[in-house]
Amino acid sequence: MRRLLFILPLLTLALMAGFFAWSLTSGRDPASIGSVVVGRPAPKLDLPALRPGEPPLTDADLRTGKPVIVNFFASWCTPCLAEHPLFTRLREREGATIVGIAWKNKRDDALPWLKRLGDPFKLAGLDLDGKTGLDWGLSGVPETYLIDGTGIVRRHYRGPITERDLNETILPFLKGAVK
Amino acid sequence: MLEFLLALLTTATVAALLWPLLRMRLPARDRLSGELAIYRDQLAELEREREAGTLKAAEAAAARTEIERRMLAAGDAATGSALGTTKGTAKAARSSDAVQKWLPPALSLFVPLLALGLYLQVGRPGLPAAPFADRGTERPAPSRQMDVAGLLAEARARLAQDPNDAEALAALGEGLTLEAGGTVTQPALEALQRALPARPDDARILYYLGLHEAQSGDSKAAIARWRALEAGSPPDAPWLPMLRAEIARVAKAAGIELPPAAPPPAPSTQSPQSTTPQPSREQQEAMAQLTPEQRQQAIRSMVEGLAARLADAPQDRAGWLRLANAWKVLGENASAADAYGRADTLAPVDARILADWAEAHVRQLAPGAVPSPQAVAVLERLEKAEPRNALALFYLGVAAEAAGNKPAALQRWKTLLALLPADAPIRGMLEERIKAAGG
Repeated sequence: MRRLLFILPLLTLALMAGFFAWSLTSGRDPASIGSVVVGRPAPKLDLPALRPGEPPLTDADLRTGKPVIVNFFASWCTPCLAEHPLFTRLREREGATIVGIAWKNKRDDALPWLKRLGDPFKLAGLDLDGKTGLDWGLSGVPETYLIDGTGIVRRHYRGPITERDLNETILPFLKGAVK
Repeated sequence: MLEFLLALLTTATVAALLWPLLRMRLPARDRLSGELAIYRDQLAELEREREAGTLKAAEAAAARTEIERRMLAAGDAATGSALGTTKGTAKAARSSDAVQKWLPPALSLFVPLLALGLYLQVGRPGLPAAPFADRGTERPAPSRQMDVAGLLAEARARLAQDPNDAEALAALGEGLTLEAGGTVTQPALEALQRALPARPDDARILYYLGLHEAQSGDSKAAIARWRALEAGSPPDAPWLPMLRAEIARVAKAAGIELPPAAPPPAPSTQSPQSTTPQPSREQQEAMAQLTPEQRQQAIRSMVEGLAARLADAPQDRAGWLRLANAWKVLGENASAADAYGRADTLAPVDARILADWAEAHVRQLAPGAVPSPQAVAVLERLEKAEPRNALALFYLGVAAEAAGNKPAALQRWKTLLALLPADAPIRGMLEERIKAAGG
């Protein structure tokens, strides 16, 4: 019995090492927190337009019968810069409808940023106080949502979209292959 | 400095451990006396309890007998092993004593030595410290950053005059990209796309268009474009190493297997560098971090690696020439001359290499010494190929003089003197030698 007690620390160590090894190799993402909006109608959208002179954004903009990509961004966010060329390409080469929402970002910062990088957004909203982001279950920027023609959220990407996301889900989704 | 302090601390710790460990004596029969001491204690306690009356006399006597019996047994066991009734057990006892005595000091030395060995394997003590504030700032080189504004201003000025100036459009695309920290923005992309039709082979335009494709999630297109650019570039184009590094980086990030590169042009004697493997970016960066001595050391180990490879594949003539050149640069003239000879046996070398070979020979000579027969052989071939070669004329003259053939020496030296410019520093020396030889 006493001997077993001596083995206990070693056993604990072995268990922990096993767990860590599994965590490292299984591809589990401990940062992944899932999303509550996927599979449900898109949360409420009621925002002033980012670009002056455009009508405000409403729920109707997400229920046009065509798939829509919604991207939350900010001019102060470096990953947004990294994913920006992908949106440029989605707009230019795939003709995607992209709605951009500047999150906790002043208009005076967001507009020059878009001017410098290029503006791939069909519609652009301004969520200065981050309330819409709260409704959408946003944890930060950049985050991207795929919304089908009926207004149902089909995918939610936390962090910048990548080439892999593009090839595996976004492009098939735009072609109607992903439900 | 820090490494030195750490080493000092480790040494002190090991010394503090070793001192008592090495002084410790393991008395051979310690165990017996220890056991006996315990039994004596037990007997004394028994006596006290009997006197105090807590133990009955009969029980005390029984316990006493039991303890005494154990003492005898312990004594028997000890004498048995001490006398070596069986040689094996005595030997085993001795060796276990030795293990007990030497294992702790050995371990306390082994651990730091293992650490040192690992550090020498993977550590880079020459690496300068990188304070947090400095990190990441070196990526866009300062000089580069400085001229982005100038580049953009110049491009815009030229576009104001001619909006279709392809060169200016390409510069604008590059400037906008650099301004955005290396992201090809949409305005940059548009400028580049407008510039492309006029300059479909422009490396800069093709590179940045490919970069946009890589950044916009189309790595395949980027790699295809870059590989086409690579194939269309002259072999000594300055952007090739960077382009190849970018291709490798993007292919790796996208998990694309690179098809093997086009076979390098067949090695010719004129360009022994053509088969030189391009050091990777990491290797180049690692090399740049080294001190001159370490760099020399690293180059030397690379050259020795090449020498070892050639020992296995002695038919690689271009390899021998490369090795000879490397040895010569390192100042190992004897090894260089030997490597030139190996290349020469595979196929006779041309005049240019003969000159290098001869130089490797004469550099080994002490001042005033006479060239060796091997050196003379090479020099004679060089003279035949290049009758006006100064090196051959001078040293063959030395050899001829040493062999007693003064007229031949004088003839060569006078030819050389006529070839030398009026202000050549060796003129005086040569004139003296001619005079001494009786010319």
